[in-house]
Amino acid sequence: MSNAASAHAHAHHWETSAAPMLIVGGVLFSVVFGFVSWFSYSNILWTQICAGIGVPLLLAGIAIWTAEALTQKPVMEGLTPIALPFFIVSEVFIFMGIFASYWTMRLSAGPNWPPAGTPTDMNLVLPIIMTIILVSSSATYHIAEEKIKHSDLGGFRLWLLISIVLGAIFLGCTIYEYQHLFHMNFKPSTNAYSTAFYSITGFHASHVVVGLGSFLTVLIAAMAGRTNKYLTFCVGLYWHFVDVVWFFVVSQVYYW
Amino acid sequence: MKRAVSAMVLTGLGLSATMAGAGEKVAMPDPAASWNTLWHHVLLDLFIIGIIFLAAGLYWVWKYRATRPNQIGEGPKLSKIAAISFAVVPSFLFMADDFFLAAKGWTVWNEYRNVPRNAMEVKVTGSMWSWNFEYENGVTTSFVVDSKEGEGLVVPLGKPVVLRMTSTDVVHSFFLPDYRVKEDLMPGRVTYLWFNPSKTGETLATCAEFCGNRHSFMWTKVKVVPQAEFDVWVAKQKQGAGA
Amino acid sequence: MSTASSGFKLSEWIFTTDHKRIGILYLIGSIAAFAVAGIMALLIRIEQSAPGPTIVSDAFTGGDQYNVWLYFHGAAMILGFLIPGLTGFAANYLLPLMIGAKDVAFPRINALSVWLFWAGIVVALLTFIVPDKPDIMWTGYPPYSVNTAGNTALYVFTVHLMGFSSILAAVNFLVTIIYMRAPGMGWNQLNMFVWSCFTALIIQLIFVPVLASAVTLLLFDRYLGTHFFDPANGGDVLLYQNLFWFYSHPAVYVIFLPAMGIFYEIFATMAKNPIFNYKAAVYGGMCFIVLISGEVWVHHLYYSGMPDWLRIGQMVTTLMISVPVGLMTISLFGTLYKGAITFNIPMYYGTAALYLLLIGGLTGIPLAMTVMSVHLGETSFTHAHFHFIMGIFATFAVFAGVDFWFPKISGKMLNVSQGKLGFWFNFIGVNITFWPLFIIGVEGMPRRYWDYSQFPAHFAGYHKVATIGAFIVAIGMVLTISNWIISAIKGEKAPNNPWGSNSLEWTHTATPPGPGNFPKPVTVDADWTPYNYK
Ligand code: HEA
Ligand code: HEA
Ligand code: CUA
Ligand SMILES: [Cu+2]
Repeated sequence: MSNAASAHAHAHHWETSAAPMLIVGGVLFSVVFGFVSWFSYSNILWTQICAGIGVPLLLAGIAIWTAEALTQKPVMEGLTPIALPFFIVSEVFIFMGIFASYWTMRLSAGPNWPPAGTPTDMNLVLPIIMTIILVSSSATYHIAEEKIKHSDLGGFRLWLLISIVLGAIFLGCTIYEYQHLFHMNFKPSTNAYSTAFYSITGFHASHVVVGLGSFLTVLIAAMAGRTNKYLTFCVGLYWHFVDVVWFFVVSQVYYW
Repeated sequence: MKRAVSAMVLTGLGLSATMAGAGEKVAMPDPAASWNTLWHHVLLDLFIIGIIFLAAGLYWVWKYRATRPNQIGEGPKLSKIAAISFAVVPSFLFMADDFFLAAKGWTVWNEYRNVPRNAMEVKVTGSMWSWNFEYENGVTTSFVVDSKEGEGLVVPLGKPVVLRMTSTDVVHSFFLPDYRVKEDLMPGRVTYLWFNPSKTGETLATCAEFCGNRHSFMWTKVKVVPQAEFDVWVAKQKQGAGA
Repeated sequence: MSTASSGFKLSEWIFTTDHKRIGILYLIGSIAAFAVAGIMALLIRIEQSAPGPTIVSDAFTGGDQYNVWLYFHGAAMILGFLIPGLTGFAANYLLPLMIGAKDVAFPRINALSVWLFWAGIVVALLTFIVPDKPDIMWTGYPPYSVNTAGNTALYVFTVHLMGFSSILAAVNFLVTIIYMRAPGMGWNQLNMFVWSCFTALIIQLIFVPVLASAVTLLLFDRYLGTHFFDPANGGDVLLYQNLFWFYSHPAVYVIFLPAMGIFYEIFATMAKNPIFNYKAAVYGGMCFIVLISGEVWVHHLYYSGMPDWLRIGQMVTTLMISVPVGLMTISLFGTLYKGAITFNIPMYYGTAALYLLLIGGLTGIPLAMTVMSVHLGETSFTHAHFHFIMGIFATFAVFAGVDFWFPKISGKMLNVSQGKLGFWFNFIGVNITFWPLFIIGVEGMPRRYWDYSQFPAHFAGYHKVATIGAFIVAIGMVLTISNWIISAIKGEKAPNNPWGSNSLEWTHTATPPGPGNFPKPVTVDADWTPYNYK
């Protein structure tokens, strides 16, 4: 597992890592089994047991993974920033699938839009505020990246923290908005618009959560004095991508 | 057969697309018959392609067996021109055949989609698990899958029938094997198909889109009767409904 | 070279990040899926051997059992066996070796992929345990999949886990192929198998997400009450079908391309010939398939009430696929021309593949014609088509591939007579199984029917023959798979390069290869190709 060997032409032993299996186990229990227990069988006990098994596995897996990623040499330097855009292509197609579904519903509804059940006074100011917050968080992260390029670890931590806070505020806004709308009886099952609204904003929010999670791992490592330029780049790229998707969400879902 | 062969030759010459539409017009369109003809042409076409390739492949497999140990193949190294020709020429041949088939298929497809003006319209509703038919004059019949009861679809001989179809629950499909046609029934949409009842007697329509545990049982009778008999039947149905 | 510490250590296997071991884990999982799905196929065949109930327990609700078998058979064969068998096992084991790399770009992500796949298998197998078994077929069309009492969530999560696994694998391998080729190795010197995976993985990367979004929306509709596929509330049932086939048609090329890749390797090696017209097959064939594979999905919806212009337009694009596939076919067949062919188990499968490719591919052509498909589609003609091209051609590719690389993987030789016997059972059996389905398909035998009493009585005869065929295949499969297991344990020791191949995995590594693959870093000359036998 140590990397002395990779200095030679080949390793003399089989490389191993427990992290991937732990993560998959965690996902299997907390997400899959958890979901099935809750939604298919409405069994709260089972849901709790599954989450209780899954979440620790997941966290352990991520922790081990991060530790290994920061200490071990990769098979080849510098490939992560190339791989992430490939992954983002994939993500783009997931969003395309969902947006295409929304467009189909929207276009086939014609003038009957928004359908009955949609509150007439949807808050259209909040999304603008949220846009400003999210765009500034991209900007603050950019500043953080500049700082680390000039080896200013302290500045990096600070601006990274600011970005995280902004992202968290963004999520807070989403939660606030959801609560508000639920209160007005606008739920995922209300009508075609609510269907699209919650699916798209929710899916986007889940990406914000992943983005924040990766910010946090970078921050924790940075607190311990470790940084990795590829990792900081990738996390930033992902965040900018989430930002760009949000423009589509705002323009298509709120203002169309 | 002769027509098909000459069509094949033309295909090779790349003239297919212009030729395909040129069949003579029949007075009474009969999509099922056109389907059968086209099917034979397609089979012949594919058979010829298949035989050429298979014969070459199997012959080479047999001919070029290694005869001594450590023998090395003598496969040709293609010059640039040869390589390009071996890509371009077959591509055009394949494309010619594709367009030929597409044009042929399109012609028959037009027959399938152009409903004759004198067609009798029947509304079809599929549900889990019954078929319901509603005629223009208000007569309704049905076929219930569990009890296998009901008149099913009754149509007069020689008069085109167009079915306007929808579903109340899940996706079903109205498949008339003898008339070589099927189309799905979906909630929220109306689809159509038409056929030309050309033979008296009973045939079968059966559900061809998976719809749950009675999917295999979801068939209905389609009865073709002479016009006179049909009129009597309609009158009786109306009476039955009135009584 | 000192191959790693001798002896078997479990932790070195389950925590492995080595691509070869991950490949073998993929193989074990996919063969397990194949075996269970194959047993389901036998149940299906027994049930269909006569009209009316044969082994289902109730003459009336027998569908409840049958539909679960068929759901599992379809989903597990495609998602659990073929895709992971080709782009999981074969790609994992061979790609790094063929391009002269130490490992893939991200070994830990690779391990993540394989365990996600295994998790998918576990979720799929839950089908047999849960009380509300999924019964929605591998296509999962709503509204049925939303309304049924069956557990649609298991289907969705199987797709999610396997799909996410594929996406990660695609990213990983694309980067590996682009950046980690041995110094000096140009794009035109790659193995055909590497090219075939490269193109297949591009398709995975782009289209799997669309499937993921489709089934996610299905999950929302089912469990959160949204209305994407509910026409009563502004949704659309056809939307799902379009999204599903927008992925699932390209998915058949994810299977087809690596399958062709394996046969190219076998043909070139056994005929000791270069690939005939390499560039035409790669650029005009594989790359072109990537380009057009996303424009043909409507051929699965010819009878679904799509607009007529789409049905016609995509008839033309679908037929056009015969051009790139035709170029690949010419190149495959041409590789034999003036060769020096040795016959052994892989080449037996190779010879059969010539025929299977033609039968399976050419029967796609009538299905591709809109007007033919409104009769032939959704009948057992379709079954016969895709079993020939996928259930046999591509499945044989996996078996031939394992047989071909078996000495490399295990260091042992297969038992030749058992292998050949298995081949003959397989080959004869599949023909007996699937030819009758062509015939009754044209006569109108619909798909997914366990009872067909309403149809002419002679259908039963054809179904019986098909059932007998299936059992012949089963014998062949048992012979084949048990041959691997027995030979891996006590087969004869394999020489380093038994087939005299010129490809890096044979010429530059130990048998079996140790950690880090190559004893010394590989570089290749400008005139090196894996097929340069002169
Ligand atoms: C590996 C898998 C695989 C492959 C490669 C293919 C290849 C093709 N398939 Fe198939 N298909 C499936 C797997 C596959 N299919 C599956 C699983 C289904 C059913 C799904 C379900 O509903 O559950 C299906 C269903 C299916 C349908 C829908 C039928 C229905 O709705 O019931 C259609 C319709 O167009 C079709 C067409 C084709 C065509 C045109 C090709 C072409 O790619 C074939 C091209 C090959 C050749 C043509 C032969 C070689 C070429 C030459 C020798 C050159 C010369 C030839 C000519 C000029 C014609 N397939
Ligand atoms: C890779 C794909 C693949 C493969 C290989 C197969 C293989 C087989 N398939 Fe399948 N099939 C599909 C993909 C495949 N199928 C799909 C996608 C569908 C559509 C589903 C749907 O409609 O939704 C389908 C549908 C389908 C039907 C249609 C049922 C219906 O519509 O009502 C039938 C019926 O005959 C059938 C039969 C068979 C048979 C007999 C085999 C045989 O070749 C199987 C032979 C294998 C075995 C018998 C297993 C042997 C192994 C063992 C016994 C284990 C031994 C273990 C050790 C020694 C360790 N298949
Ligand atoms: Cu109705 Cu199948
Ligand atoms: Cu397809």
